[in-house]
Amino acid sequence: MDFRTLRSAFSLGWVNAAIPPALLLILILGIGSAAPGFLTQETLLLLLANTAVLFILAAGVTGVILVGGIDLSIQAIASLSSVILAQLVPQIGIMAFPAAILAGVVFGVLSGLVHVRLKVPSFVATLATGGVVAGIALWAADGRAITIEASGRVFTGWINGSFAGLPVVVWIAAVLGAALYLVMRYTPFGRYSLAIGAGEPAAIAAGINVDRTKIIAFAISGGLAAIAGVVLAARLSSGSPTLANQLLLPAIAAVIVGGTAITGGLGGIGRTAVGALIISIVRMGMTFIGVNIFAENVVFGAVLILAVAITIDRSKIAVIK
Amino acid sequence: MLTANGICKSFAGVPALKNVSVEIRPNEVVGLIGENGAGKSTLMRVLAGTHQPDGGALLLDGKPLRLRHAADAAAQGIGMVFQEQSLLLNLSVAENIYLGQEDQFLRFGIVNWKAMHAAARRQLAKIGVDIDVRARASELTFAARQMVELAKALTLEETVSRPLVILLDEPTSVLGAGDIKVLFDRVRALKSRASFVFVSHRLDEVLEISDRVYTMKDGEVVAEHRADAITGPELHEIMVGRGLQASYYKEDRQHPPRDDIIVDARKISHAGHFSQVDLQIRAGEILGIAGVVGSGREEVTRAIGGFLPHDSGTLSIRGERVRFRSPQDAVRRGIGYVPRERRVEGLVMFLSIAENITLADLSAVTRRGAISHGRERRLALDWIRRLRIKAPGPEIACRKLSGGNQQKVVLARWMTAGSRILILDHPTRGLDVGAKEEVYELVRELSGDGVAILLISDTLEETIGLSHRVMVMRDGEVTAHFDAPAGAKPDQVDLVRAMV
Repeated sequence: MDFRTLRSAFSLGWVNAAIPPALLLILILGIGSAAPGFLTQETLLLLLANTAVLFILAAGVTGVILVGGIDLSIQAIASLSSVILAQLVPQIGIMAFPAAILAGVVFGVLSGLVHVRLKVPSFVATLATGGVVAGIALWAADGRAITIEASGRVFTGWINGSFAGLPVVVWIAAVLGAALYLVMRYTPFGRYSLAIGAGEPAAIAAGINVDRTKIIAFAISGGLAAIAGVVLAARLSSGSPTLANQLLLPAIAAVIVGGTAITGGLGGIGRTAVGALIISIVRMGMTFIGVNIFAENVVFGAVLILAVAITIDRSKIAVIK
Repeated sequence: MLTANGICKSFAGVPALKNVSVEIRPNEVVGLIGENGAGKSTLMRVLAGTHQPDGGALLLDGKPLRLRHAADAAAQGIGMVFQEQSLLLNLSVAENIYLGQEDQFLRFGIVNWKAMHAAARRQLAKIGVDIDVRARASELTFAARQMVELAKALTLEETVSRPLVILLDEPTSVLGAGDIKVLFDRVRALKSRASFVFVSHRLDEVLEISDRVYTMKDGEVVAEHRADAITGPELHEIMVGRGLQASYYKEDRQHPPRDDIIVDARKISHAGHFSQVDLQIRAGEILGIAGVVGSGREEVTRAIGGFLPHDSGTLSIRGERVRFRSPQDAVRRGIGYVPRERRVEGLVMFLSIAENITLADLSAVTRRGAISHGRERRLALDWIRRLRIKAPGPEIACRKLSGGNQQKVVLARWMTAGSRILILDHPTRGLDVGAKEEVYELVRELSGDGVAILLISDTLEETIGLSHRVMVMRDGEVTAHFDAPAGAKPDQVDLVRAMV
């Protein structure tokens, strides 16, 4: 089977939608039969807990990809929010959480404004705001990691606990995922996002407020990136301006591997959940087989290229830029 | 020399060319006329190798000719000067002329610019025009660009050892009278070395330059004449085909409009596109705008739709002064735009019928801010039944529908949004006869309900047949008004006089 027939098989909608869950199942069962210790409650819970941060990041960027854009600033925003949390929690306690998350929303809105008002392509806009945010984080933390001392851990410790048998981070990811799913399915914003991603000129002609919809998508992406950073900082009891630096590639890979089209308009949060689990399992699998931890992003980069190459329908796109 | 035999070509099931046969003889200018959508451009693209026919054959000197792409045609000496100008504006004249043929100027992998400029100068000398070959294409006038395109087509003389066939697809549409004369002089001078196919919908020009004229209609060649044996009006009659048929445009259902003025534009202008346009549409009235390409009628409709804000004058909707900054403002005022580019601006092709119907106004299917998918489905089913949309169900993606059914979805959307003003921008483009009739029926029904309608259309016949009144535009200004009541429609010839 050559590449083209493979791709034409993928172009059937339902095949496309069914592949990621099938892949996930095969991975779980495959690793489970190879390493019997894998299919225990303990390991699976660890898998879910390890996926939580990646999923929160990926869920945010899913909304931006659905409207046809991309957000490359998420890892910088996550790092900045970890720094904000670590610095503020000793002073203002629990209020450090909303402060850190608000910073993420603000920079998301800023990216959105740069994109729609100044008409800068989203990848350039977010690459640039990402640079600005990363710089602010380095500056604020003076280039160092900030440990959250015992006085601060009083307020962050709950994130490392469990509730009703599940780690709290899994609850956070699940609640955010469910909320976003409902937003995408039941609100006009969700509908407009899909319409803009699939056909922006038609969305404009139908009278949709395209600019506002895009800015909201970027705001959500920034806010979720900040939540991911906060969760990460609480788990590690430390904030750092480079904390989330290796997470951009796996997050975008999770969205695309899950089956959301990089060109926008097709996909959703459910698919990203599956994609994040696949990426997470591959990562755990690599540790099992003994792949060097530094080689991880080599694999994710390759997976991302392959996923886009076989799923994109190039017959409808004359020029790839 | 070059012959097309029984060419057939369909797009998405809609036939664009039906069994078309034409012949191009040596040293001859062949004219090709027909209304928009008659198949002229498609035929040209088949001859130029950019479209492959579904049936029939091309013959060159009696031998079968298979053209897979434009380069194949070029190798046989067939060159095309495109309708939409194809020069790359950021490149120089010389670079444009030799685009894709730079190999001959390479020395050790580096382009010898001096040689290319000299060669480009020789090409321009062939047609006797004086253009700086180092100038950027963007600095040239439209007329000069057209000459460069012609020079580009003539480079085939050096690479092909047989007489050329040059296809000119509406080359005069952007030219003024003086430039047209220059172009025609060149074509006449080059006739001894090449054959030309000349497409235009300006009949007088075609008759002036051509030796023979083919007339196309609805994808077929319906007549062939020697240019000196026929007059413009005769040709026009053949081109339009049937005379005005009252029943085709449902004239029996055309009722006088109501009294209240819904759209009232006073002296609106947009620099470079239209100026001082007055326009009133009453409830239940269909106002048609006639005009050739570049008359500004497209831009006027875009202005009313909020796409191209007017920069002076006043626009009032139901007596209230408005200024649209975007289509969103217009939609909020109850204006629905039915675009010519149905697949781009009309529908989100990957969304379902139901989702497209509610796109402009979700309020009918939302409860406490949440979309009710059940209500949305029932609403869509209702429209599918009422408008006889042929589709397996409301969840089908719009890209799977035929053009006529897609157009019904667009109309259903604006009816759902309660639009009382509709802009119909070429509403029947690309539709077959049956689908057109269904659209006409819908338009009559909407007009009967008191919807104010602004219409621009591919054919004069359709504009006159549907409208209560027709306004004629030329060069961005209104040149004439015609009343078009049922049973007493104005004559096309009178409109054409105001158009050109």
